[in-house]
Amino acid sequence: MKIQLTVNGQSHALDCEPRTLLADLLRETLGLTGTHVGCDTSQCGCCTVHLDGEPVKSCTVLAAQADGSRITTIEGLAGGETLHPVQEAFAACHGLQCGFCTPGMIMASVDLLKRHPEPTDDQIREGLAGNLCRCTGYVNIVEAVRVASRQMAAAGSKA
Amino acid sequence: MTLAPARKEDLRLVTGQGRYTADWNLPGQVHAHVVRSDRAHARILSIDASAAQAHPDCLLVLTAADVEAAGFGGLPAGAPLQGADGKAQVKCAMPVLATDRVRFVGQPVALVIATSARAAQDAAEQVLVDYDELPAVASLQAATASGAPTLHDAAPGNVSLVHESGDAAAVQAAFARARHVTTLSMHSQRLTGAPLELRACLAQWDAQSDAYTVYTPTQGMLGMRSSLSQVTGIPQDRIRVIADDVGGSFGLRGGTASEQVLLMLASRKLGKPVKWVASRSELFTGEWHGRGLTLKGSIALDADLRILAIRWDDQADLGAYTCYWQSFIGTRNISVTMGGVYRVPALFARQELIYTNTVPISAYRGAGRPDIAYAIERLIDQAAAEHGLDRLELRRRNFIGKTEFPYTTANGTVYDCGDFAGTLDKALALADFAGYTARKAESQRRGLLRGFGLGCYLEASGAGAAPKDMVRARFASDHIQLFGVTGPSGQGHETSFSQIVADGLGISPALLRYKASDPGQELIGNGTGGSRSLYGAGSAFKVMVERLRARACEQAAGLMGVSADSVRYEGDGVSGSFGHLPLMTLAQRLMPAHADAAHPLDCEGESVSGTTFPNGCHVAEVEIDPATGVTTVFAYSAIDDLGHVVSPQLVQGQVHGGVLQGAGQVFGEHLVYDADTAQLLTGSFMDYPMPRAGWVTTIRNDYNNVPTALNALGAKGVGESGCSGSLPALVNAMSDALRAVGVPPMDMPFTPAKVWMALQEAQRPR
Repeated sequence: MKIQLTVNGQSHALDCEPRTLLADLLRETLGLTGTHVGCDTSQCGCCTVHLDGEPVKSCTVLAAQADGSRITTIEGLAGGETLHPVQEAFAACHGLQCGFCTPGMIMASVDLLKRHPEPTDDQIREGLAGNLCRCTGYVNIVEAVRVASRQMAAAGSKA
Repeated sequence: MTLAPARKEDLRLVTGQGRYTADWNLPGQVHAHVVRSDRAHARILSIDASAAQAHPDCLLVLTAADVEAAGFGGLPAGAPLQGADGKAQVKCAMPVLATDRVRFVGQPVALVIATSARAAQDAAEQVLVDYDELPAVASLQAATASGAPTLHDAAPGNVSLVHESGDAAAVQAAFARARHVTTLSMHSQRLTGAPLELRACLAQWDAQSDAYTVYTPTQGMLGMRSSLSQVTGIPQDRIRVIADDVGGSFGLRGGTASEQVLLMLASRKLGKPVKWVASRSELFTGEWHGRGLTLKGSIALDADLRILAIRWDDQADLGAYTCYWQSFIGTRNISVTMGGVYRVPALFARQELIYTNTVPISAYRGAGRPDIAYAIERLIDQAAAEHGLDRLELRRRNFIGKTEFPYTTANGTVYDCGDFAGTLDKALALADFAGYTARKAESQRRGLLRGFGLGCYLEASGAGAAPKDMVRARFASDHIQLFGVTGPSGQGHETSFSQIVADGLGISPALLRYKASDPGQELIGNGTGGSRSLYGAGSAFKVMVERLRARACEQAAGLMGVSADSVRYEGDGVSGSFGHLPLMTLAQRLMPAHADAAHPLDCEGESVSGTTFPNGCHVAEVEIDPATGVTTVFAYSAIDDLGHVVSPQLVQGQVHGGVLQGAGQVFGEHLVYDADTAQLLTGSFMDYPMPRAGWVTTIRNDYNNVPTALNALGAKGVGESGCSGSLPALVNAMSDALRAVGVPPMDMPFTPAKVWMALQEAQRPR
């Protein structure tokens, strides 16, 4: 079947099997391998992307359901050479080790900070409840979200 | 404000530019899907692949007959061990594909290759296997019951090995004169390591060179390559293994499983690259499991509360076949430190390794080290509770003293250094033990149960299988390329090794790059494992730096026309009568005309580093709500003795991660098999609770580092210590809280349901 979607600002007209998952379309057809797949039950959150501004687990969305949508993946988050504050904070706070969960963690964190610009620790943990990390113990991930929130507030107040 | 990344690895990983195995694709590649047994124990009567082969996109179906025709052997079963009776262990290696019998749910039976992954799955679903089911044993208890069905004719009673360590007679004599004796049986339940990267492989056979390129996650290419060669019989020099980024491993991915060698065979048969990416559901039974140990400890104390002896009667669940490091876990790894941080004059362990109709067990973060550390510290607490002793006093009286090193344990292990009493004191201060009584009373007022637990652990890090660790530096026009064997899976090797070299040469770490296991570099060395990468390869880098400084002096003297003994390395380069020549400027001036030619400063280093003894004291404080059984980890404090620390932030990250993996085992993770059918009941992240953000919210950590002289770097390793400290600390805290209200000792995991039930049971009038 034919679908049309905009990924990281670029428009694509694609042909895919009706059963194709959005995660597979991004990875296999568009070569955007920053979106990772770590489970098949929507638990790990490694495949989180933004669909029309909302976070979705792209392993649980059919490519066909994304027809006509705007998608942002981890590759489209930074503004050119400038990292998104959440990307910067994850790196600075040692919020990643193997890095496999990181794209999904970052995409989920960006959304959580959109909903709660100054989140409490509980809001951060709840916001990341759909994302698994096996390496870091989460302590530094939570810290990264706090730091990103402060960085974004500082940048916002300057603007 | 711009924030600097903690590691060299981070920029690519936060932007989605990491390259994991599933991210690789090759032109013309085709796809594989594994047909796995859905029975725990059965004879295979026939395999009918005709419907699958008739699928329009199916290219090939491989079964055991193809594997046999190719001359492949079974999967590596580990080095031979000897039993207490002097007889060799009964090793039953796992066939690459099941031959006439399957012995666990998930065992590979056939491989289907098609033009796409989805078509391969469709075709695989049409492979018909006719099974004659046999009775199965799902647990140690079932496997060792009289009249239990046996898995292997060669292993009557399902016993692979009975192993002994220590002095049984001395222990028996000590128990005979003991004042206090305590016995506790503990189970360290079966887990899945669950690195988040799904296991994957892409194999390409090149007809012209008759050589293979295998992309797959590893812990260092040499271990993977040698296992591929061992199974296939293909010489190592015709196998290239490539792994760039690896999404976690925790001991699971050091060597080949069935899929990698099958893909090599399929690629050769089809003349095309073949790719396979597992699903998570598949990996719950398609990847080695971890832990699965029953540890029964008995401790004898005299009237002065001195430990006289400890005896262990242990059983290790091997799963259905022997594989890799598995047999070491249930023998060496749980006995070398079986007295922990204590002066124990007599030690003895008897260990049985048992086959069951379950997924084979191999190394998972700590590989027996956390299990024995856990068991020792629980036994100490249980002894204190049973005999009304103070748990701190009991420990302090028996710690090996700071001045007693080197200390040889009763079973012959030599600990080189440590400060166990000092570590305990530091941990109690960090955890504000002084304020605990008030906090407990405050919890009580709110109707909550508070517990405080210690884990004074010590572990023996990995000796390493390779005879030495070699590393190399190659000078390029604008950087120095470092090479080693040990392959990272999140530990930050690029950062730590660069740091060691940069510090030694007085240059910026930005000028250094690390590449693990480059197929073009023939080096000897160990993979990542046993917490030994930093001190193994790190020591070799330290040795290399010394050589490089000397070589820079020689080259600078030659270049400047002065005598070699008139120059010295200081700061970031060589100083002499000519002034100061920075290393990178010197390197520029010595750059050979041809890019491929060796640079005169290119250098190698090597080091032989064996076992070290990381230790520490972790302290947990928990609060249980008796109305729901829900536990909150109120506080967690860790003091570790890791020897020399290179990258404090990365070491802290390892502690955090290890502690949370421990918390996973303590509070939720458990692979449960159905007792009758040996079907896995917890086959997805929906049934198997992985720890999430918030399970442990704050981890205070600090160090009481005593550098070791056992390696050039003075480091002890950190990879596994977080699990070794957290299992006893958390469980002792839970037991402390529950014991106070009459709950008898429980096994992990302390799920809310289990805790609630235990509380109800304890309150029932008898």
